[in-house]
Amino acid sequence: MALVDYLPFVVMLVLAAGFVAVSLVASRFARPSNPTPEKLAPYECGITSEVEPTQRFPVKFYLVAMLFVIFDVEIVFLFAWASIFNELAWYGIAAAGIFTLFVLETLVYVWKRGALDWNVKTRSRYAREHFRIEEAA
Amino acid sequence: MTFEIDYLALAPELVVAGTIIAALLLDLFLTRSKKYWVAVLSVVGVAGGLVPIVYMLAEGGTRSMFDGSYVVDEFALILKIVFLVSGYLVLLMSVSYIEADRYYQGEYYFLLLSSILGSLVMSSSRDLIVLFIGLELTTGPLFLLAGWRKGDAKSNEASLKFFILGVLSTAILLYGMSLLFGLTGSVEFTAIAAAIPDLVSEPALALSVLFLIVGFAFKASAVPFHFWAPDTYEGAPTPVAAYLSVNSKAAGFVAMLIVMYTALPGISEVWAPALWVLAALSMTVGNLSALRQGNIVRLLAYSSIAQAGFMLVPFAAAAVAGSDLAQAFSATVVYLVIYALMNLGAFAVVIAGARRTGSGDIDDWAGLGQKDPVLGLLTALFFLSLAGIPPLAGWYAKFVMFASVIEAGGISTLVLAAIAAVNSVIAFYYYARVIKAVWLDTPSEELLARPGREYAGSIKLTLAISMGLTIAIGIYPTFATYFGEASRVIATGGG
Repeated sequence: MALVDYLPFVVMLVLAAGFVAVSLVASRFARPSNPTPEKLAPYECGITSEVEPTQRFPVKFYLVAMLFVIFDVEIVFLFAWASIFNELAWYGIAAAGIFTLFVLETLVYVWKRGALDWNVKTRSRYAREHFRIEEAA
Repeated sequence: MTFEIDYLALAPELVVAGTIIAALLLDLFLTRSKKYWVAVLSVVGVAGGLVPIVYMLAEGGTRSMFDGSYVVDEFALILKIVFLVSGYLVLLMSVSYIEADRYYQGEYYFLLLSSILGSLVMSSSRDLIVLFIGLELTTGPLFLLAGWRKGDAKSNEASLKFFILGVLSTAILLYGMSLLFGLTGSVEFTAIAAAIPDLVSEPALALSVLFLIVGFAFKASAVPFHFWAPDTYEGAPTPVAAYLSVNSKAAGFVAMLIVMYTALPGISEVWAPALWVLAALSMTVGNLSALRQGNIVRLLAYSSIAQAGFMLVPFAAAAVAGSDLAQAFSATVVYLVIYALMNLGAFAVVIAGARRTGSGDIDDWAGLGQKDPVLGLLTALFFLSLAGIPPLAGWYAKFVMFASVIEAGGISTLVLAAIAAVNSVIAFYYYARVIKAVWLDTPSEELLARPGREYAGSIKLTLAISMGLTIAIGIYPTFATYFGEASRVIATGGG
């Protein structure tokens, strides 16, 4: 490419930079300036809550839905294998067997970590046994 | 379609993958006091992955699988060694850090090993899909690892920034890849390279190449795509920051070079100026920003941005001048090997020093040399090496870089060399500032009064390995040259 071919890029660059400069300057004059610590935080997201929520939100459904999606997608791979089952023969069975073992391991992991326990108290058992959770002073 | 799988060629990946699965299971069934076995298993697994690599290097030859999209040649093997050794060192650093932290969980090793596996896959990839999977497997777990300290707002910020920009860069990268596939009709690098000459006048091709560069530059944190790096390094656990600055940066970097070198040499007039600009900006902005940092991890973050610029120099120079790219490739790989060792050493020093002083601020490190002479000496060693002072390894990296630039010739190359030379001097200032704080400043009462805690053996081992190699390469550079020469054998797949 010759140097002149870059001209559209340069025009685009100037337009983009100009747009940013104009909107920054314009908004600077148009807006009231009243910075608070919350506004200056890198990720302002609504108003910072002043008190803890009055009750705890259960996240069980969210967790189960996530697990369902993960396991469901894993089954999709088995479906591809099933559609050419005869051609792959024993090689396919061995490969699918190994794959199934990995899915099983995921299940063991999820189970042991207590993600399947509906009861919050039993679910936190793993955390109590396995993590060093320092008591808040 | 063939199912022929060369198990020896895949052995390093298989060993690491097996370790990942075993580590996850082992952690579930160990009681809290025996958790360190997970770390032992991970370290042994990563070291075990090196065995087949050394065997294949000794045997020589190229192994190609899956219709040439997965190639194990000397270039791939060398990179796998770099990734495994630096992964090994990061694991060693992590052991005591994670143990001492209140956020210990066994998934740490699982995630770190997954990331290492991704970089192994990436270095063998010779098609866009395998490359993408490898690269994403490398960065994916790091989003979680960066936010490891869940209760710490800075760690959350680190993770969020890294995640948002990482996902954005992935989207741009994928867009570039899809354009490239649409134009050339293939995802394989050799086929793409063959189709390029008929498409050179196509504007969409230039666009796809630029998108690819943007995507890779995000991962390599080259300026102007570096904004996530300092905040992420500062908020992430220090071993994770070390991993980000070495493995994950190298992965993005190597992916860019593989694609440019094997798939897109026919259109170097588009990407060569872009790389030139990236190299010049990364060096200058990285170094100038590092001058103003008070926190040592942020200083290393900006220093690693600048070092990425130095690494880009040989390749950008050779591409702009139109000279032999293979020469530049070996210079870049030598730089990468040396950078990995000394930067990991510097991060290990930061972990040990932060434990000694209880702070990450350079001012608080004043007089550390009097308190702990060995640590002070190591600080001086790694920071001088990063600055490129002989007889430490860093000088050889810089030497190879300048040599390859001068060999390339041409005005624009010499301008780049001049920028690199000025930046080497600037860099020396802030590296020396840390050494000055450690040795010349008077220690505070608080530091002298702090009880001298012994560090864990794993940190000592990390420091010893990286120190030994940094000195060895500095005195006997042929060792590193071997890596560079071997990396010239980059098979383009298909064969």
